Amino acid sequence: MQNKLSFHQSSASIEIIGLPDYSNNENKDQISIISQWKLTLVDKPLIEGKIEHLGPIMDAFYIYSNLLIKNEIPIYESKLIDIKADNLHIHNIVLKSSKPNVKPLVLKIGNSLLSDTLNCFDQLNESPKVRIKKTYIPTKIPKKLRLGLNEKVKFFNFLIPPFIAICSLILFSSSFIYFYSPFENIEKKELINPE
Amino acid sequence: MTIWKLRNNNPLRKSYVTNNIKPNEFDALIRIAVEMSKYLYPYIREILKSKEDIEENSVIWNDFNKRFIELIKERFNIDSMRVKKLLNQAENDEIIIKSLLILSFCISDQGYQKLKNFLYDF
Repeated sequence: MQNKLSFHQSSASIEIIGLPDYSNNENKDQISIISQWKLTLVDKPLIEGKIEHLGPIMDAFYIYSNLLIKNEIPIYESKLIDIKADNLHIHNIVLKSSKPNVKPLVLKIGNSLLSDTLNCFDQLNESPKVRIKKTYIPTKIPKKLRLGLNEKVKFFNFLIPPFIAICSLILFSSSFIYFYSPFENIEKKELINPE
Repeated sequence: MTIWKLRNNNPLRKSYVTNNIKPNEFDALIRIAVEMSKYLYPYIREILKSKEDIEENSVIWNDFNKRFIELIKERFNIDSMRVKKLLNQAENDEIIIKSLLILSFCISDQGYQKLKNFLYDF
């Protein structure tokens, strides 16, 4: 009997199917030997594959998201997956099958679905119940940066406050949506245009 | 109170002081940003989504952008070129979308470390 684990984030979910590695004295609900995985994105075709495909696909998403944020040209190309930006809001994903004579699957996803997918991958990476080969996650500060950390901190005194300020304004403005009631607006419009 | 005072280190504000932020204060600000992002993720997501299909969901984006600009005018030095850039609706879209994306990518348990790394890479 195989174990199944799912990780969800809004419109995206990933399911991992596999077995524990009993030779390593693992618990029976652990997954270390992944036999299959399925990535479900709302309104998009199901994406599934073998373990050897999961790592490169996760890497592609992580690398692409970093390029997107760092003002570099957001293009990622590999034998298995290509991701490039159509514009600031839509991303074009081409998944190439390893089987011959199978056409590549083309998906267009928005920023919301991209962040849902990345958050699913984060949950999978951080789950103590699944052991996969570590993929590209920018969690370690490179040596160069560590050496110059003190100078960096001084430099950040100029950089961080504006960034935190913009973020806090964004977060503060986001909470403003609490007060938005579409029904009130519709009622107001009806009052203005009684037709 | 300490966090309240830290706001004044921001050179974009109408009045600001040039005290250096200590590393632990810098870490604390990042942790606050990450925790707030986790809490507000459904709203951040809706704002991002509203920009994807502007014809259908323009109300959410317009409300958000309006409030964002109101807050900047209220608190920031609007004579500064950098603030003018933030207020320019033709130019500020990219800054807002990228800031929202950074926040939305950092809501996991390792979000603090991710946000810190994004900032080091800036």
